[in-house]
Amino acid sequence: MRKFVRAIAWLSVAWAICVQASWAGELIETPSLEADVGAGKLPAIAERLPEVPRVINLKELGREPGRHGGEIRMLMGKQKDIRMMTVYGYARFVTYNDKFELVPDIVESFDVEESRIFTFRLRKGHKWSDGHPFTTADIKYAWEYVITEPELSGGSLPAKLLVEGEPPKFEVLDEQTVRFTWHAANPDFLPALAAPRPIFLAKPAHYLKQFHKHYQDPAKLEALIAEASAKNWRGLHIRMARQYRPENPELPTLDPWRNTTKPPSERFVFARNPYFHRVDENGRQLPYADQIVMSMGSTGLIPAKAGAGETDLQARYIRFDNFTFLKEAEKQGKIKVKLWRTGKGSQMALMPNLNVEDPVWRDLIRDVRFRRALSLAIDREEINDVVYLGLAQPSADTVLSESPLFKEEFQQAWSQFDPDKANELLDEIGLTERNDDEIRLMPNGEPLNLIVENAGESTEQSDLLELIADHLAQVGVRMIPRASQRDVMRKRVFSGKTVMSVWSGMDNAVVTPDMSPFEISPSAEDQLNWPRWGQYYQTDGKKGEKPEIAEVEKLAALAKSWRAAATAEERTKIWHEMLSIYTDQVFSIGTVNGTRQPVVFSNKLKNVPDEGIFSFSPGAYFGAYMMDTFWFAGD
Amino acid sequence: MTAGSPLPEPGAPLGHYVSTKPFDARSIEQLTPAQEKVYLASQWRLSWWKFKRHKVAVVCGVFLLAVYVSILICEFLAPFALDTRHKRYIFAPPQSIHLFHDGKFVGPFIYGVKLKVNLENMQRLYPTDTRKIYPIKFFCKGDKYKFWGLFKADRHLFCAQRKAPMFLLGTDRLGRDVLSRIIYGARISMTVGLIGVALSFSLGIVIGGIAGYYGGLTDMVVQRMIEVLQSLPAIPLWLALAAIMPVTWSPITIYFAITLILGLLDWTGLARAVRSKLLALREEDYVTAAQLMGAKTSRIIGRHLVPGFMSHLIATATISIPTMILGETALSFLGLGLRPPITSWGVLLAEAQNINVVALYPWLMLPVVPVILVILAYNFLGDGLRDAADPYK
Repeated sequence: MRKFVRAIAWLSVAWAICVQASWAGELIETPSLEADVGAGKLPAIAERLPEVPRVINLKELGREPGRHGGEIRMLMGKQKDIRMMTVYGYARFVTYNDKFELVPDIVESFDVEESRIFTFRLRKGHKWSDGHPFTTADIKYAWEYVITEPELSGGSLPAKLLVEGEPPKFEVLDEQTVRFTWHAANPDFLPALAAPRPIFLAKPAHYLKQFHKHYQDPAKLEALIAEASAKNWRGLHIRMARQYRPENPELPTLDPWRNTTKPPSERFVFARNPYFHRVDENGRQLPYADQIVMSMGSTGLIPAKAGAGETDLQARYIRFDNFTFLKEAEKQGKIKVKLWRTGKGSQMALMPNLNVEDPVWRDLIRDVRFRRALSLAIDREEINDVVYLGLAQPSADTVLSESPLFKEEFQQAWSQFDPDKANELLDEIGLTERNDDEIRLMPNGEPLNLIVENAGESTEQSDLLELIADHLAQVGVRMIPRASQRDVMRKRVFSGKTVMSVWSGMDNAVVTPDMSPFEISPSAEDQLNWPRWGQYYQTDGKKGEKPEIAEVEKLAALAKSWRAAATAEERTKIWHEMLSIYTDQVFSIGTVNGTRQPVVFSNKLKNVPDEGIFSFSPGAYFGAYMMDTFWFAGD
Repeated sequence: MTAGSPLPEPGAPLGHYVSTKPFDARSIEQLTPAQEKVYLASQWRLSWWKFKRHKVAVVCGVFLLAVYVSILICEFLAPFALDTRHKRYIFAPPQSIHLFHDGKFVGPFIYGVKLKVNLENMQRLYPTDTRKIYPIKFFCKGDKYKFWGLFKADRHLFCAQRKAPMFLLGTDRLGRDVLSRIIYGARISMTVGLIGVALSFSLGIVIGGIAGYYGGLTDMVVQRMIEVLQSLPAIPLWLALAAIMPVTWSPITIYFAITLILGLLDWTGLARAVRSKLLALREEDYVTAAQLMGAKTSRIIGRHLVPGFMSHLIATATISIPTMILGETALSFLGLGLRPPITSWGVLLAEAQNINVVALYPWLMLPVVPVILVILAYNFLGDGLRDAADPYK
């Protein structure tokens, strides 16, 4: 009888655990937290996890389930690079997996009706990194007191939260469920939540309320403002609530690691979040690594340090041409180096500024024949051979072959090397006169000196520009690269002083039809090919200028209809049409894409894929490959 | 005054005797023609003799002269044009010149190389093919250029065959010949610093000269000004200056501006030296004599005082010029100096500043060699010139 009772008791305990964690197997306590758990400072693993944790089945992903411990060292250039931790950590409401499909992550499930009603169900028992429960109250706080709070948001919502200028209706259904309802479809919403730099819909209300004037007693708030030497409560709240760049070590987070170092510092330590919501199939709470250490230093030394094994995971600040050196260093047995593909539409693209001020240049730049001629004059094969050992793909600035939207005609559009055709086009425009140096003369008699401004940040860019300058000289165009600085360049482009600038092509070139085509339509003032037209659509026609090219207007109209499109087929159709217009009109002049990015990691670090796509958007660099599942094998 | 004195009456002209015989200053001590040559030689001639005895300085002087001549004809000397790229010879290592093949004398030639890519580590390899022999030709046709911007030419001092180009010092990441780039780089590196030196010299001598000669209040004002200028930290000042340069300026204009400003700040040390020398020299009797004879200040400083410390000036100049050459390298390192497409030794070295070069392509650091040689040569030359400037010592 006693035995029976005991058995029942055990069963009920087991049952309780099962219910609480919805977990059939046994949960394994993290060794580095055992002491704290034993001392009662931290609840046991079962109470730290939500009832339904996100189970990552590594075997199914073709990876190895691991074990806890170790620290991942990374090298960074500047203090603000700690934002990479938010990118790499990649805990979002919904995330892209390694196949770039949207899956629920922080939320247990989500439900979309008619592309306009979004219902999120949170995980019951989910907690912030300080142990406080994470509930819909935090979303309510974020929505009502931060995102739509006029003083904090500056009076306007992020564009992706607006449909035809209208914000959604926000409802809290219960402690775990929230709903956002727009009057029309908003396909931008989920991608914006899954973005590497997302819209943060959850903020730790219990912590942030002390900095908010609706909650805090004015006298105490005054004292806090004075203590932080902020200007006003707005500045104080923004500073304390920064989630993308985690500068405030006290801010609770849902990320796998939380910052423990207060800037300024040269070394940032990110400790594991003991309440993180993912577990592996063996019942080990993720992340595996106990901490991440980011050291700031000169970026020029990072390849050398990586070769010496001073980093455990590194791709930032390492270039393709470092690969040979790193491969040599690999022989010493400390590191491994693999080549991933980059996910940009073009490694480097020339951006003709359609809003240039100078009337002579404006007419030229807006003439599609001129843009096509420049594109045809570039010998992309040579660029590929000289700089990328033939491993890249000569292409217009368009989607990669990995994207379901890929068509060869986009890649090939005006990207063949055909100087004769280019000359023909330039003659056709009327640029037939040449000076003594064989440089064509513009209609006003000036030689065609095409000044191309660049941010002056990489030697790779200046090498490419040097090659391109040679190619263009063959068709009578003298290109003069001019290095300046990122911000100066952007300002000059916006004010119309720059004729042409240099940037990378489409940021996200492994797009699916469900991702927004904003990059190839006028949508923002920081677009280098049509800043004023972009501003026009960004501000809903309040600022900027209305496009004067029919094709640009068409792109804007198509982008609008993409948002309203209900089915995937329709979106695919719209995307294809836009890509076709964009590449045929050569609104940016691509060079090569699909270049390789060396990824260096410690040879003890497991689960880093040998092949992958290294892209900021989508994918958040290592984010889509889940850095929390990387672990250290024994010594 | 007693009567019968040999002296005339007061006020009466003093009677005196002038010999009509030709004056011979050496009547007491006769000089042999050989001695005459030495003792009657002008200062310049003496300096030249003394300089000639400093063999190292002469060699260095000839070397520097050769370098300065070479910058006039670098299109001809360089086997390739500055920006000629060789797609099939990227990061090609230096090739060596051979004279004998299979024990037989062939004359200067190079062996062929063939590009092979090691796909394992993405390295370009250039194994030598000893079956293929390409003799080196002289005064051959190669890349076209416009000599002195006047007439077109295509002759080069030496080259191998077109299908097998020769890279004595290897090539860089775009397949450009390092040797040619070093030869072209001399053009900027050897000349651009001279402007700053010339400016700082004229300022130093004039301002230091005025302060030292007049002394007193003038000296005080100048000294305090120098102290202020010297207390400005150099690198933050360069950074600030780089920030205020208009972005629309071309890199070469910016560099000229920076050397000018460096020159405007660099004169202080020299001015102090000139001042202290002058303070000492202006008390000399020959200066008093010149003053009594009514010489102008500028003549006294320029004709009588400055030659007195010429040796010091020359020493300073020969140290300043290499400092400027090194300064160009340092500025390029800080990202304030020249930037490609302008090519100087500093730019070439700045491009060589990465781990790839150290580990895999060490020949890209070769521009260090001419920098070291030129700086050493300037120092030895300065040594010789300083001795020579004081031939009476």
